[in-house]
Amino acid sequence: MRLKLVLELLDVPGQLLDALNPIGRLGANIVAVIHQRDVKTERGTIPVQITIEGDEETLNKVLKMLETKGIQIIQVDGILRKEKITTILIGNIIDQDVKDTVNILNQLDGVRVADLDLKMSDHPEHSASKIIIEADYGRKKLVTSKIKEIGSNKGFLVINEV
Amino acid sequence: MRICIIGFGSVGQGVAQVFNMKRDRIKQDYDLDLQLVAVADSKGAVISEEGINPALLLETKQNTGRVSDYPEYGVNGVTGMDLLDTVEYDCLVEVTPTNICDGEPARSHMLKAMNTGRNVVTSNKGPLALGFTELRDTAQDNNVMFKYEASVGGAMPIINFAQETLSGCEIESIYGILNGTTNYILSRMAKEGSSYNQTLNEAQEMNIAETNPTQDVEGEDAACKVVILANSIMNMNVTYNDVMVKGISQITPESIQLAKKEGYLIKLIGEVSHDSLEVSPRLVNEGSPFAVEGTLNVATLKTDLADDVTVVGKGAGSIETASAILSDIISISKSMI
Ligand SMILES: NC(=O)c1ccc[n+]([C@@H]2O[C@H](COP(=O)([O-])OP(=O)(O)OC[C@H]3O[C@@H](n4cnc5c(N)ncnc54)[C@H](OP(=O)(O)O)[C@@H]3O)[C@@H](O)[C@H]2O)c1
Repeated sequence: MRLKLVLELLDVPGQLLDALNPIGRLGANIVAVIHQRDVKTERGTIPVQITIEGDEETLNKVLKMLETKGIQIIQVDGILRKEKITTILIGNIIDQDVKDTVNILNQLDGVRVADLDLKMSDHPEHSASKIIIEADYGRKKLVTSKIKEIGSNKGFLVINEV
Repeated sequence: MRICIIGFGSVGQGVAQVFNMKRDRIKQDYDLDLQLVAVADSKGAVISEEGINPALLLETKQNTGRVSDYPEYGVNGVTGMDLLDTVEYDCLVEVTPTNICDGEPARSHMLKAMNTGRNVVTSNKGPLALGFTELRDTAQDNNVMFKYEASVGGAMPIINFAQETLSGCEIESIYGILNGTTNYILSRMAKEGSSYNQTLNEAQEMNIAETNPTQDVEGEDAACKVVILANSIMNMNVTYNDVMVKGISQITPESIQLAKKEGYLIKLIGEVSHDSLEVSPRLVNEGSPFAVEGTLNVATLKTDLADDVTVVGKGAGSIETASAILSDIISISKSMI
């Protein structure tokens, strides 16, 4: 079977070879590589389209290997890969305007707040809000650390995923 | 092996009870004779080179509250340090209360034992969280063994498990529920929809939470364990102040409801990784190994070779914690042969 991947590589020499070499070693065939150095993402990285061929097990190994090497796979067979990140904030939601938090998150590149749910408590200073975020694959760490930062600035208790 | 116990509360008494239950069996299986030669509490001690009878000692402590009331061999007013000066023994079991300000008196007890060539077993987190390196180095310099399995997760095997059973694997991170009291409170809140204060009161009535619950609910106890795991399993060189600590006292029923709607539970999680040392409430999947209830402890070790390995067990309790101390004593005796 064939798999068309879009990888996101840093614009430094050797990156592409670093990604391609182990693919062959795992026993998959590289059918095509489309590498346009002049097309950059907003983050300054270069999307590289590769098509690989092999049995299912081999292809799974390739995906896992790329991930452990920290190479972002942003598309698989034309479908954008997204991560869902859930977080809960506890604090004075009214005074510390949750909308503003949502805006800060939406301004992050490749990050979108998909859902927001509020629950007021008898003690307004302990109200809770749940935020569900959709982010490009591999952005989770960045998003959770941003949320922590917002939490400590605004005095929210942040409950992130484990 | 001649054993000296300092501290005779819940854990110390558990050790005596376990000696009483298992002495013959251990002699048979390991050719190890467990001989209790000295025991101290905060008011005095009992010393006997022929051996103290654990059953009689337990009875005495229960009746009068003092080990020094033990017939014939009890001595009032003798301190732990005095004891270590006068008694001939092979292994110190240090089980005085945890002190996270300066680790005392346990720190001095342990250093003294090591510096006079004795092995040390402890369940006491304070001195380990504040000065792990000092204790480990002192043990090494004196060529004695220092074991502390019971200090993290009570009966849940983790330190020896990681160091011995998983030896050869690199441990990349550890995530765990390392405090039973907070797990009980959060589990009850999730089940009953009750408030934090109400649930804390209930836990106090059941003796699951202490009258002063700060160390547990503010995450300090779990943070000590994070430090111990970081130093002993991940070879980091850190102390208590390196841990970012958030407790559970601000958790509301509303936040638990919001989490549930997405299939999550809120648990107090200790994280030990090279990126972060942290104790904080976190969202865990309802179907994950972290979804344990009651006072259970759990930890997942992420390894390079064995992938994820998870251990679960009772994080506290007199006999349960004593079981970990006993296993440390047995492993010391094996290495002495
Ligand atoms: N309980 C558990 O399930 C558990 C689990 C894991 C780890 N631990 C740790 O194990 C240790 C012992 O816990 P525990 O529950 O047994 O505590 P505990 O019930 O409070 O008992 C403490 C004992 O230490 C004695 N003591 C206090 N100060 C002393 C001193 N200066 N010299 C000699 N003895 C002294 C007390 O004497 P009196 O009897 O005269 O008051 C008491 O017998 C603590 O560090 C704890 O964090 C406990």
